[in-house]
Amino acid sequence: MPCNYAYSAPAVSDREASVAMLLDFDRLGSWRWVLLSITVLVALFLLLPIIFIAALSFGNSQWLIFPPPGWTLRWYRELFADPRWLESAWTSAQIAVCVTVLSVVIGLLASLALTRGTFRGREALRALFITPMILPVVVLAVALYAFFLRIGLNGTMLGFVLAHLVLALPFSVISISNALESFDKSIEDAAILCGAAPWEARFRVTLPAIGHGLFAAAVFSFLVSWDEVVVAIFMASPTLQTLPVKIWTTLRQDLTPVIAAASTLLVLFTIALMLAAVVVRKGMKR
Amino acid sequence: MTTPFLQIQNIRKVYGDVVAVTDVTLDVAKGEFMTFLGPSGSGKSTTLYVLAGLQEPTAGDILLQGSTLLDTPSHKRNIGMVFQRYTLFPHLSVGENIAFPLRVRRRPKNEIDAAVRRVLKLVRLESFEDRMPAKMSGGQQQRVALARALAYDPPVLLMDEPLSALDKKLREEIQYEIRRIHQETGVTILYVTHDQEEALRLSDRIAVFSKGVIDQVGTGSELYADPATRFVAEFIGDSDFLEGKVEAVNGKHADIRVGDDLVIPAVPTHGAPTPGRGAAVMLRPERVSLSQTPNAASSLPVTVVDITFLGNNTHVLTETKARERLSVRLPFGHAAANGLRPGQSVWASWEPSDAQAFCA
Repeated sequence: MPCNYAYSAPAVSDREASVAMLLDFDRLGSWRWVLLSITVLVALFLLLPIIFIAALSFGNSQWLIFPPPGWTLRWYRELFADPRWLESAWTSAQIAVCVTVLSVVIGLLASLALTRGTFRGREALRALFITPMILPVVVLAVALYAFFLRIGLNGTMLGFVLAHLVLALPFSVISISNALESFDKSIEDAAILCGAAPWEARFRVTLPAIGHGLFAAAVFSFLVSWDEVVVAIFMASPTLQTLPVKIWTTLRQDLTPVIAAASTLLVLFTIALMLAAVVVRKGMKR
Repeated sequence: MTTPFLQIQNIRKVYGDVVAVTDVTLDVAKGEFMTFLGPSGSGKSTTLYVLAGLQEPTAGDILLQGSTLLDTPSHKRNIGMVFQRYTLFPHLSVGENIAFPLRVRRRPKNEIDAAVRRVLKLVRLESFEDRMPAKMSGGQQQRVALARALAYDPPVLLMDEPLSALDKKLREEIQYEIRRIHQETGVTILYVTHDQEEALRLSDRIAVFSKGVIDQVGTGSELYADPATRFVAEFIGDSDFLEGKVEAVNGKHADIRVGDDLVIPAVPTHGAPTPGRGAAVMLRPERVSLSQTPNAASSLPVTVVDITFLGNNTHVLTETKARERLSVRLPFGHAAANGLRPGQSVWASWEPSDAQAFCA
């Protein structure tokens, strides 16, 4: 993003200074202990379920008793011994990767049209792209189920990918559109004047410049598909299940600590993904 | 007659029902520094964008060395351009930015390296090759943008108000840099600005734009001494206008009645003077003098409104009987400035040849 340091810097630092003064921790006196307690409580509320699940996955009771009477790795062994768990994880990963690629590509093309285009009904089209985010997921799931039933896509990989793509696209369109809007079109014009063909200018200048938006779109799209359970329950067949669906059906049939083990691994995977995102982001900013 | 280097022929540009450029024709010589000067919305930037190929003209043609440019897409025109906004590629370092136009031209690496070094030296930023654009000031970024536009030796360099986002002091500094770079490289420059001082400081010739047409083309002193229209007279330098009426016509000169007391004889006129029709008489503040008694060929009784001492000159604002403003600039130490007081009645005088009339 082109920014004029000489002009913007003083204004921003003034504002930051006054905000910092308002929230200066040292000036709060005894209030700071109240704030600290609230923070700790909120953090515990958010983290405790995850810690419970992780603890239960190592507990040796098969009735999910907390605190566990003893410790074991049995549930992890069972998890890896059962090919259906691995299969569903592999299915989830394949679907999520396909959704990510399609969502970013289509999101980029749609965002280019929505931010650069001058056609009629542009705002309506933008709203249409965002609707899956606002619509109740169950409504969408039933509609997709009914539709896919007619064209025979239920229980297929393609059906899964298309259904999740509908859910992921709003995230891509929003994050890529935002990046494109904050990108000055003059920079692309400058690249063209420098001798780059229009497509080359977009590929070599615009795309790298909105890289953070593309990356955010990819991470969101992946997680939307990877975590999704409602639509997936409708799409799933006995032979084709995603990991969240497998957890859900296992949960309904027998309440085994293997679920806790699977959930713990899911959480670890998500944390790893988020950490990777932070690292990539830092690398991009340089 | 040899063909001019760059010919802009009857360019017209219409957006919907808005006419941005009505009809612009202009020849530019090789190596010339030509400035498009005018207020915003006068069509100067649009004309430049048509040259760059970023806008299609509605009508007209542009010839470079005798052949049309309009059939060539922007990226093949081989024209350099510096934009008003900062357009360095944010993900590339200064050196990579400058190398970009050469990389897309698939030039060999050693040639690219040499060109990057050469233009960085030209804009005096040798030590900034590895810096990222976000870590540079606005002035430095525009100098890099200039270096990038010059790296591939374009025959024509377009500059669209490149300094308008910078503060005044920095602007002047870079203006001198641009002048020096123009002299060192001999590149033909078309420069857009709304700042008359910038135009006067930089240009060989200035084209004054107003409402989609060029009012006048000339050197700064030509435009100042002999403006073709009232608009040019108002835009270049300070000037005041006295509304009057044409009494008699003698070729390009006319006798013009200003108020009840004065007929200014033999004023050089622009437009078609017709007896009985209105005309505005233009006076430059430094051409008018003040005295207690009428003394030059043309004198007008005025009242002093305000006196401002400005160091090397004193600015006196006066008002005529018809309540028209007339500014007078007296050089430092001029006797007329002594004892002058607001409210005082004095005579403003000038030589008839220093006045100019614009016919309505």
